[in-house]
Amino acid sequence: MIHPSPPISDPLAAAGISRREALSRLGGGLGTLSLATLLAADAGGAVHATHFAPRAKRVIQLFMNGGPFQADLFDPKPAINQYAGQRPDTVNLRTENATGGLMPVPFAFTPSGSSGLPVSDLLPNFQRVIDDVCVLRSLHTDNPNHGPALFMMNNGTIIPTRPSMGSWFLYGLGTENENLPGYVVLCPGRPVRFAELWTSAFLPGEHQGTYINHSQLDPRQMISFLRHASREPSVQSRQIELLKRLEQERSLGRAGDDALDARLRAMEVAFRMQFAATDAFQLEAEPAAVREEYGEGHFANACLLARRLSERGVRFVQVYYGNGQPWDTHTNHNEQTKKLCADIDRPMAALLMDLKRRGLLADTLVIWGGEFGRTPVSEGGDGRDHNHFGFTMWLAGGGVRGGMAYGATDEFGFRAVENRLHIHDLHATILHLLGLDHERLTYRYAGRDFRLTDVYGRVVPDILA
Amino acid sequence: MTALCVVLAAASARSDEPPAGQAAETPGRPIPTADDYAFFESRIRPLLVEHCHECHSRQAETPQAGLLLDNADGIARGGDSGPAVVPGRPDDSLLIQAVRYTHELVQMPPAGQLPEAAIAELAAWVERGAPFPPTTGPDLSSAGQPVAGQPIDIEQGKQFWSFRPLVEVPPAPAAGQAWIERRIDAYLMATMQTSGLSPSPRADRRTLIRRASFDLVGLPPTPEEIEAFVRDDSPDAYARLIERLLASPHYGERWGRYWLDLVRYCDVPEPWAGSGAAWLYRDWIVDALNRDLPYDRFVTLQLAADHVPDARVEDIAALGFLGLSPTYWKELKLAPGVIQVVVAEEWEERVNTLTSTLLGVTVACARCHDHKFDPVAQHDYYALAGVLASTRLVPRPLLPAGEAAGLLATLDELRTMQAQVDKLLAQNPVPPEDKTKADELKAQIKALRKATPAIDEPLAFAVDDASVHVLPDGPHRTMVEYRAGQAQDVPLHIRGNPLNPGDVVPRRFLAVLSQGTPEPFQHGSGRLDLAQAIFDDAAPLAARVMVNRVWRHHFGRGLVETPSNFGAQGDRPTHPELLDDLAARFIAGGWSLKWLHREIMLSAAWRQQSTPHADGQAVDPDNRHLWRMNRRRLEVEAWRDAMLAACDSLDRSIGGPPAELNEPANRRRTIYGTVKRRELADLLRLYDFPDPTAHSPARLPTTTPLQQLYVLNSPFIGRQAELLAARLQSERPADTKAQVSRAHQLLFGREPTVGEVTIAREFLAQAGEAGGEPSAVAEAWRQYLEVLLASNELMFID
Repeated sequence: MIHPSPPISDPLAAAGISRREALSRLGGGLGTLSLATLLAADAGGAVHATHFAPRAKRVIQLFMNGGPFQADLFDPKPAINQYAGQRPDTVNLRTENATGGLMPVPFAFTPSGSSGLPVSDLLPNFQRVIDDVCVLRSLHTDNPNHGPALFMMNNGTIIPTRPSMGSWFLYGLGTENENLPGYVVLCPGRPVRFAELWTSAFLPGEHQGTYINHSQLDPRQMISFLRHASREPSVQSRQIELLKRLEQERSLGRAGDDALDARLRAMEVAFRMQFAATDAFQLEAEPAAVREEYGEGHFANACLLARRLSERGVRFVQVYYGNGQPWDTHTNHNEQTKKLCADIDRPMAALLMDLKRRGLLADTLVIWGGEFGRTPVSEGGDGRDHNHFGFTMWLAGGGVRGGMAYGATDEFGFRAVENRLHIHDLHATILHLLGLDHERLTYRYAGRDFRLTDVYGRVVPDILA
Repeated sequence: MTALCVVLAAASARSDEPPAGQAAETPGRPIPTADDYAFFESRIRPLLVEHCHECHSRQAETPQAGLLLDNADGIARGGDSGPAVVPGRPDDSLLIQAVRYTHELVQMPPAGQLPEAAIAELAAWVERGAPFPPTTGPDLSSAGQPVAGQPIDIEQGKQFWSFRPLVEVPPAPAAGQAWIERRIDAYLMATMQTSGLSPSPRADRRTLIRRASFDLVGLPPTPEEIEAFVRDDSPDAYARLIERLLASPHYGERWGRYWLDLVRYCDVPEPWAGSGAAWLYRDWIVDALNRDLPYDRFVTLQLAADHVPDARVEDIAALGFLGLSPTYWKELKLAPGVIQVVVAEEWEERVNTLTSTLLGVTVACARCHDHKFDPVAQHDYYALAGVLASTRLVPRPLLPAGEAAGLLATLDELRTMQAQVDKLLAQNPVPPEDKTKADELKAQIKALRKATPAIDEPLAFAVDDASVHVLPDGPHRTMVEYRAGQAQDVPLHIRGNPLNPGDVVPRRFLAVLSQGTPEPFQHGSGRLDLAQAIFDDAAPLAARVMVNRVWRHHFGRGLVETPSNFGAQGDRPTHPELLDDLAARFIAGGWSLKWLHREIMLSAAWRQQSTPHADGQAVDPDNRHLWRMNRRRLEVEAWRDAMLAACDSLDRSIGGPPAELNEPANRRRTIYGTVKRRELADLLRLYDFPDPTAHSPARLPTTTPLQQLYVLNSPFIGRQAELLAARLQSERPADTKAQVSRAHQLLFGREPTVGEVTIAREFLAQAGEAGGEPSAVAEAWRQYLEVLLASNELMFID
């Protein structure tokens, strides 16, 4: 039988790198973190020490790939309808495509919860959880083109050469459950730019995201090589016993070697992962009432999977809403938005309520938004173009204040004007909530210390609980 | 009083004078009154303190944009973009434009616009002449540029160890002469002795042939090769082994892959990068290494084969170094400024790859400001960026220039015709006359293809000289224009922002590595001049860097452990004299890499055992002194190839188009597995293959459960076990002990121990061999062999 072993905690030993070597190789940039990390590793824990007490231990991101329109959902702008068809100077901003006059918003808002924050009637279920939600209305990013904007949101730069946010989380925090990948990406298809969005780039490969297409709900189909096509676990268990006996036989009379031992331990963890992961991804295990609460569809399934993974200690679950970029409504915007909202409303609300019931919301940060927003002016009469000047995201749980809105766009919801938040600021704040100082979480590559926030970013204290 | 004078001068620039730098010499405005100062203190200073000083004062950790708004001089001098105010002219003042959010680039404060009243007061203050009360205290005249620091002292910079000329210091005489085989050993012995260390005994023959085979060709020796070597009593048996391996055509595959990591090679680049045969570059590298093309020539052809007079036609493929550079999407619907940023990012990536790979200097750090640690000025960066701004990525056939041009023109023509056909046939319905027209065109296409003999020649990802220009294309679009045959110098980008250009910097080599003042490059884009400068002016550094890379692959640890950073932030060499001596002899020997391998592998140091001895472990557990060989983990390529080789299913054919690695039936060497820049094959992704979007100085090996899931469950491993079982059964039929023995020979190059045989017998019997039923026997063997394939011994080399 397989006996529990200490977790695979030391990536350095695993890599055959001594501690001193690691310190000199990684340079001084790691500072106290590296030392803390190494000490934690010595103690047999896989969880790294943080720079300060974390408010959130894990993150779920609901990524509306394509970019939703802020004034449809969380940032009501009556002036759009008031000046419908007109093109005041304020909206003369250059986006990707030619745009026309202001296109009216046909959706109503209701002041919701005890906070009274306005939420679109497209999201009736979500209105009920708004008191746990911090609406950020003043995001802006650098480039109104999907690729660069996706990279900015995920990797903190417009080019695909830097580690993703999730890789930085894992690098900084370590893993809470070595029987599961620490960073899981769920999408019922392939988001635009695909694997570049969860790359570990120059960080060690163990920090990359594990992509899972959950359009088939059989766990064996989801994770590559999770289960053997035909072999019984009892046989594999005997094989691992054999492996251990042979390794022991070969090492007789030789000093122990960390790198060899680490690989053997990883085999035991892999064996357990087959069952742990199968269990984590088994939606059938959920009671009917819970399935019912989340509703049906890929997004509902992803939200429920995200909760199951989070409660098992997966650091970062990133849910891409759908294949390609479903929220990219250049034509027929209103009809598409109705359908999209009908699909996300119930699962989003259920996720927050479910996390709360289980006591997980307090230290699980939930992030919602796209790579940018959309224009209040029309594109081609019934569509809306990309808008990087101003858009809305929301955060919930994990140490953020609920029932508040932060920042503001102009009267038409086009450009962020008050308490502007760049993506770098969002990243800095997320890292802060995780107990990491965005200026100290660094990695030496190509002669300098890289950060998720490059040389930018500021933590926004106003939204911390 | 000095401060007061500065303030008065700053406040008194005449409105019709250009403000920059002139303020101090142009008196003429009224002296500020007490009322002006009171206005400043009550209305303006609080605003500046609250909204600006966090980033723009001497209290700021890093003053942003070099701008200080807490003293008069700072305001007058301004930041990177020039003076912050033009006294008396709010509309022309950058500060006011920024707070009004009307400036194209600068909008301050970043968190959101100030209230209108505050903006109006700032404007009124500038209108008054921007009076700033005199400060008592230290002279602030130098405080305006706290970020820039001292200008770089090139002569001082040249004294840094890696930038100095090579110094040949003979090894100190040491005891233990009997151990020494090559000069390398003498250096190592000397430092070992000063630390009280002694070398380890020589490894046995089996270990040596296995080590040497993986090192040079990335494949295990066959049991027959091992036996022959073990029995060879001639004194030159070992030297002949090394020569045989160096002469193997598989040598280039092993060492070529190391090179491909550095230059972020991929078979499938970005979808907009056009189609071509990237593998022509990979095959050129493999072949060049097999021919032992001198390293200086090897690199020069990669940078500038199209400018090297005696280059062969095939050498155009070498241009893939730059020709396969990553490109980033340029959305031409966006403004030119946005596209310029994307182009500037491409230059940075290329400068980084070039200088990190060839010189171990991180020049890209100087894109936004002078290098903070190394003597590389921002001007040096843009001097090299100009070379890349004059180089275009283009497909080129491996044909003589005239024929190549003809073929490219024909391909263009064919594309145009095909587009016409597509357009005609896209109509619904297709009018009969257009159908006829399309058919005619199709016939013409067919005829033209037939008449063009080289039509199916694969095109290399290559480069030529053409300057790139990002220009407006009407009011709402941008175009990227290449001017063929032209070269350009580019302006320095202040703070790395291409929309904020500074002086134009002539294309030239890095000042600190130049002998004398660097001369502007003369030939076209300057690629050839750059290569010449690297192997002439910077030859010592180029040689040190390459020698160290080769050393690192042989010993598992570099003399410098930061192989792409030989600057101040990089490691210092553990054995500087040894590195210089090898580098000097590498150059003197005509930059021959095979000479270098020989020199290293014939050393006593390389032939030591890897087993640590207690004395060494106590003094130097990290083995910095090389008192033993390091045990090394195989890279994914060698590991997979070793499995295929042992299971007798390896396809040893060399070169050609790549094949998908996710396909379990793929039997080719791993170097020929398709590398997609945007999505790596499972095996590569799991086993630390470097991200091909950027230069990789060294792989970072990790050990993860996901890797072991691959071992446990992948069809590839299962298939290899099955093939190996079949091989054993056919080579040693119905003899368990002989089969176990053969499996160990094939996989590990040795006989099993008695214990291993016993364990194997027990397992096999329990797993179903005992019954003798053929399918049960086969399954038992598969299970057993999967475990052998999972063994550490297959992945680690002693």
